[in-house]
Amino acid sequence: MVEKRDITRLIFSISSLADLGQEVTSTKSFNERMKTALYVITGMFSVPKAALLLYNSNQQRLELLTHKGFKDTTWSNIHVTAKHIKSFSKNEPYNLSKVKTNSFYNPNTEALEKFHTKTFIPLFAKDEFVGAICLGKRLSRPSYLRSEKNVLKVVANQIAITLHNSSLFRRLTNKVNENKKLYENMRHIYNDTIKAFAAAIDAKDVYTKNHSFRVAKYAVAIAMELGWKEKDVEAIYVAGLLHDIGKITIDRGVINKGEDLSVAELNEIKRHPQISYDILSKINFPWKDLVHFVKHHHERIDGRGYPDSLQGEELSDGVKILAIADAFDAMTTDRPYRKKLSLTEALHEVKKCLGTQFDSRISNVFFRVLQKEIKGETKEAQILPHLDKGFDPKVITTLLETITAELSA
Amino acid sequence: MDNFSILSKTINGIVIFMPKGYVNDLGAENLEHACEEFLSKEMKKVVINFSEIQYINSIGASIFTGIVQKIAEHDGMLCFTNMKKVHSDVFEMLGITRHVKVFKEEKDAVNFLKESD
Ligand SMILES: [Fe+2]
Repeated sequence: MVEKRDITRLIFSISSLADLGQEVTSTKSFNERMKTALYVITGMFSVPKAALLLYNSNQQRLELLTHKGFKDTTWSNIHVTAKHIKSFSKNEPYNLSKVKTNSFYNPNTEALEKFHTKTFIPLFAKDEFVGAICLGKRLSRPSYLRSEKNVLKVVANQIAITLHNSSLFRRLTNKVNENKKLYENMRHIYNDTIKAFAAAIDAKDVYTKNHSFRVAKYAVAIAMELGWKEKDVEAIYVAGLLHDIGKITIDRGVINKGEDLSVAELNEIKRHPQISYDILSKINFPWKDLVHFVKHHHERIDGRGYPDSLQGEELSDGVKILAIADAFDAMTTDRPYRKKLSLTEALHEVKKCLGTQFDSRISNVFFRVLQKEIKGETKEAQILPHLDKGFDPKVITTLLETITAELSA
Repeated sequence: MDNFSILSKTINGIVIFMPKGYVNDLGAENLEHACEEFLSKEMKKVVINFSEIQYINSIGASIFTGIVQKIAEHDGMLCFTNMKKVHSDVFEMLGITRHVKVFKEEKDAVNFLKESD
């Protein structure tokens, strides 16, 4: 069962990561960016006192870069030798009370304690030691949950890369490249966190395990076939992962009830795209269309969908893609009220609903990708690995050829 | 920073802040500085009224964390009032509300602080 507090935590973490991404790539001065980054962490984990340190390899010591919550910042040096660096796990938070006998901690006790350090995170960009974060006591529980440690690691990694790319480290860094690298890095961070988020949604709905993940994959396959730009493909991927997030607020019993839903219950379920939109629009994602894709994933070409009864070309391509990816996965997986359809049955069903539920052009693209995947003509199959293996490729290929020929005519 | 401003008033030695707008960047640190200023004048009973706050992100949460810490270090008292549910959920999760008295209305907090000595 997903608890409300977990959801609050996830939304807060994911939006904090989005903030962090925006901060470290902003045009503010380096010092201001790093200070803001430190504030993002201290806010995420409610730590009133913290310091961010940069490694000076000539002097073999950590130097104060920015801090939060200290009046006196006369800094006794923290010495870090090559041997220490070797002993550190990269970007891994250390609980200092557990390493008191350690050869790094001992000579540096005074300095670390001056900064109220409870948690010490050595920062590494790839294999290079670039600095450290000292976190003081938390306002909440003293230790970190495993999920929090993971997020902390992701954040540490982000900051490490920012430090590494900074002019303090490399005096001749091209700004554009720096931002591009950061953006690349952010994508991985988003991916990990958003996947964790998607798993929380799917956990609520017993019948749709990994539904969000498959919808994301199918949507990507269609978008790529349409020749979408990389950033737009990412948007549809994340939209796929998060489209049903609004379901986390709906009673689990109602979601899994299946048949015999009362009108009130049906209306309750139909609220989920709007709730998804409300939740996600609070997050500062780098993809501006994402929330619209999510909001309208249950719209239909004939205007009988929800929540806004959009019609025909009022539906963007992204919405049309998500709608078919979502419905196709619903058809090919078991639901509370019926067994899954075979691939042949599902394809016939999609065909039957062309021009009413689904857009013909986008569906045609979907059929074409599936055809290519079956023939092994794509670099990496996105749809096929998730379908039941029990179909006859020849039969399906013929069927797809017939449908696409009809549609193209 | 244009999206953030602070109104403050004092009633019977109680300091009341009403920050307005987005608490989402370092500009909001002014609230922490304003608190420190009153603390240095031995005014240690502080109310923060959240009714005009639209949005708080992790940077904002960090600033509130700092305020909680400073007031605790000065043996002061801190009350939050008029919080929206989204904000109280996050603050509760972060353990911030553990160190603060939360009231529905500003006047409730003022009455509470008046009576506590
Ligand atoms: Fe849905």
